[in-house]
Amino acid sequence: MGGFARSRWAAPFLSLALLVALLSCWQLAVRDTAPTTRMDPEYAALMGATATTGKSAIPTPVDVGRRLVAAISDPFYDKGPNDKGVGTQLAFSLARVLLGFGLAAIVAIPAGFLIGMSPLAGATLNPFIQVLKPVSPLAWMPLALYTIKDSSQSAIFVIFICSIWPMLVNTAFGVAGVRREWLNVACTLEVSPWRRAIFVILPAAAPTIFTGMRISVGIAWLVIVAAEMLVGGTGIGYFVWNQWNNLSLADILLGILLIGLVGMALDRLLGWAASAFTWRE
Amino acid sequence: MTLSCDPFDPMASHASGCTCGAHGPASRLEGEQRLGEIVRTAVLRAAFPQAAARRAVLKSVGAATIAAALEQFFPIGTATALAQEAPKAIEKPNLKIGFIPITCASPIIMAQPMGFYQKYGLNVEVIKTAGWAIVRDKSMNHEYDASHMLSPMPIAISLGLGSVQQDWQIPAIENINGQAIVLAMKHKDRRDPKSWKGMRFGSPFDFSMHNYLLRYYLAEAGIDPDTDVSIRVIPPPEMVANLRADNIDGFLGPDPVNQRAVFDGIGFIHILSRDIWDGHPCCSFSASKQFITENPNTFLALSRAIIDATGYANKAENRKEIADTIAPANYLNQPPIVVEQALTGTFADGLGNIIKQPQRAGFDPFPWESFGVWILTQMKRWGQIKGDVDYATVARSVLLATDARKQMEALGLAAPTSNTKSFVVMGKTFDPAKPEDYLASFPIRRS
Amino acid sequence: MTHPYLSVEGIARRYGARAVFRNLWFGVERGEFVCLIGHSGCGKTTILNILAGLEAPDDGALVMDGHEISGPSLDRAVIFQSHALYPWLSALGNVAFALKSRHPRWSKAQIEARARQALDLVGLKDAAHQKPCELSGGMKQRVGIARALSLEPALLLMDEPFSALDALTRGTLQDEVGGLVGGGKQTAFMITHDVDEAILLADRILLMTNGPDAYLAEIVINTLPRPRDRANLHRQPGYYALRNHIVDFLVTRSRVLAGERPVHWTGRDVPEVIPAAPTKTLETLGT
Repeated sequence: MGGFARSRWAAPFLSLALLVALLSCWQLAVRDTAPTTRMDPEYAALMGATATTGKSAIPTPVDVGRRLVAAISDPFYDKGPNDKGVGTQLAFSLARVLLGFGLAAIVAIPAGFLIGMSPLAGATLNPFIQVLKPVSPLAWMPLALYTIKDSSQSAIFVIFICSIWPMLVNTAFGVAGVRREWLNVACTLEVSPWRRAIFVILPAAAPTIFTGMRISVGIAWLVIVAAEMLVGGTGIGYFVWNQWNNLSLADILLGILLIGLVGMALDRLLGWAASAFTWRE
Repeated sequence: MTLSCDPFDPMASHASGCTCGAHGPASRLEGEQRLGEIVRTAVLRAAFPQAAARRAVLKSVGAATIAAALEQFFPIGTATALAQEAPKAIEKPNLKIGFIPITCASPIIMAQPMGFYQKYGLNVEVIKTAGWAIVRDKSMNHEYDASHMLSPMPIAISLGLGSVQQDWQIPAIENINGQAIVLAMKHKDRRDPKSWKGMRFGSPFDFSMHNYLLRYYLAEAGIDPDTDVSIRVIPPPEMVANLRADNIDGFLGPDPVNQRAVFDGIGFIHILSRDIWDGHPCCSFSASKQFITENPNTFLALSRAIIDATGYANKAENRKEIADTIAPANYLNQPPIVVEQALTGTFADGLGNIIKQPQRAGFDPFPWESFGVWILTQMKRWGQIKGDVDYATVARSVLLATDARKQMEALGLAAPTSNTKSFVVMGKTFDPAKPEDYLASFPIRRS
Repeated sequence: MTHPYLSVEGIARRYGARAVFRNLWFGVERGEFVCLIGHSGCGKTTILNILAGLEAPDDGALVMDGHEISGPSLDRAVIFQSHALYPWLSALGNVAFALKSRHPRWSKAQIEARARQALDLVGLKDAAHQKPCELSGGMKQRVGIARALSLEPALLLMDEPFSALDALTRGTLQDEVGGLVGGGKQTAFMITHDVDEAILLADRILLMTNGPDAYLAEIVINTLPRPRDRANLHRQPGYYALRNHIVDFLVTRSRVLAGERPVHWTGRDVPEVIPAAPTKTLETLGT
């Protein structure tokens, strides 16, 4: 037993076992439960499954599984501007995230550098950062729509303004926290400020910066779903909202599953990129 | 099969609503001749909607006789001349039109898959939108060229209420009737509105007929809609879920939301909006004045397409076909049986009864200016407008009744001769010439 | 009197009203190895930082080779107490970084060759591509040494370079540094609290009193012959006289002499002592 616990298969096996257990509980909990009254068959023909057979409105894992298979088997279908396959929707969402996140990184990292290097700049900008950081994307959306006047650009702006903070704060923190003696070494080697920033400060702060980026990408992905639900058109958020219209909970759960999987993939991707820049002492 | 596509040729096949050119070499028919064909076809179709019957008549009596007979009832010549104003060069053939996934927008939505837009030379993308505020914003940004809007919205926007002021106009009303008050199942023994004090209601938008009708209904029962009950703005797609979650006790909403609530066993239909005011406007097709003035030919084609589609939708025999067309995920995303019940008027009411009310929903495009006046009185009644308003001028500038008449006549639809009329709401007559008196006659109001 | 190669002229360091040290004068001749010894709090590290240019003195100046110097310089290389290697660079990379700073126009190949040479000198030829986290403490310090020496600095500054190492490694490295640096090959200045280390490596040993307001009490001249071999050094005549003198200072006199200057003491003319040669009298010692 001890040997198994230490092996590298222990954790995946236990995860899988836990998943099976949770799904089973779910399946059992959601069996047909609601009471039904006797209905005239002609009337019954006009009513839905919940009213006629007492089938729970909450889908079972099997229902969701079926929808998953259906969605994956034809992920890129296109039946018009309002109905596209999940593959296409995810692609739209990812494109927006990359754009918004990319812009945020371009602004946050240099700004974070500046704040980290200059305590004065840090103290000056800190109140603004603290006030803007906790604002929800749903609050930014109407303002963005009103001023930017383009819903796609507004969504990207909202991603930008929400995902910029972790990167900014972490970069500043990482830069400010570079070991004094590494800076001293650079000093005694008469390293120019530019070389120092790129070859000493940046590598030293890189792990912290990457942590910030991972947090930010998670937030960006979260925000895009909310923004798309609000604005509509295309994207996985819109897909979820469209299924919400139809109260198709199985599809909503499918949407949630896909959102989670893609979010995990994004985090993994950044983690892998980060590993190229982490160092141990 | 004949090549001339002559509508008066009984041997020609006109199966799928084409008015020529679709399967014949259109180049053979030159400008005016073609126009004349179109007009005559329209008139012929209006007179004999069933293709089979049409062919039979043509075969038996002959084309010339029919043409002459029709001339007596309908001035084909005049109509042709009118139709001469048909778009010569469409400035902007690729358009984006926003809609909310409710049956009120049926003409706007179905015009795309059923080819009405194409018929008039337009390539339109109909885009599903998340809520009325987003529709308003995207329309005012000009991301949409024209849009499905609640009838009071263009009036509100033109007056600068709840948004920046921008001139908007209603070339056509989308639908009349078609709404209902739905209550949660637990209230099935509490149907007297006088007992509704303390209930929470949902309404799609502050500037909506739903809001005004609900308030009117409550006020008639002696309930003050601002102090005795609470009315919350909830986007139509979320109304059923909110009812289910017991966030609201009921709502006055658009179809198919009403029928969906019944379908899922969550609520029942308490009263159809038609029984509050038969013939009330609901949603409108609207465009900014800027779009209309900058693209007159496009606008002409567009309003023709919409009015044509509206006329088609009004016919009872087309309702099932329309329901099946607009139900899929691309449009309404509802089970077809739900949409069918809403459009055909044969429906389950949630209390075990099947009701047959074919006038449950109607599609009449004529934008009566009196609708506008009524809406303005209600806006003022509930404090949305403060101060004085020139009812007649605002109504006339927003609701393009005269233009609509021209289009309807060109399409062979019967159009009213006047722009205003009086009507009856819950037993009380409304005279559009005396809006202030009407307003003063209500005991419950904010101004 | 000829000016020494490096001349420290009346430097002082204060924190507020209190002085850490003041009126400090001494010189280092070319090729000489000078050690500064004292308890913590006497300002040893501060003095080194001032010499390195990382801090500025509150009074006085530094003159090297006839020019006043201030601020850091590649001519004054530092070996830090805790190696201060960049963990994201390999051993080779760390040395190469320094070389690149010194010789910006050199090609990559040149730099790499010179870096390998430097690592070879400290016996790390095979560890060139390892990152600091893969090296032992002693190896890391060797890289630090290689990095400093590769710059061929005019003055080598060492900040208690072996105090973070275990005793055995310390001994080995002391021998190596002695071999690389001692005997006129390199002008060096080292601060330490280890008596034996000072005796092994230094030509002259500066004795600081305890702080605050510390001052340079004596300069001890180490006459033990070079090359010095750690195994046999303690058998040299005069070794214990030298050692005892310094230990006496550290244990007792540094405390007793602290604060108020002795009557005949002047900053510029610190008494020089040669305890290892008992036949020579301490002429400048007052009675």
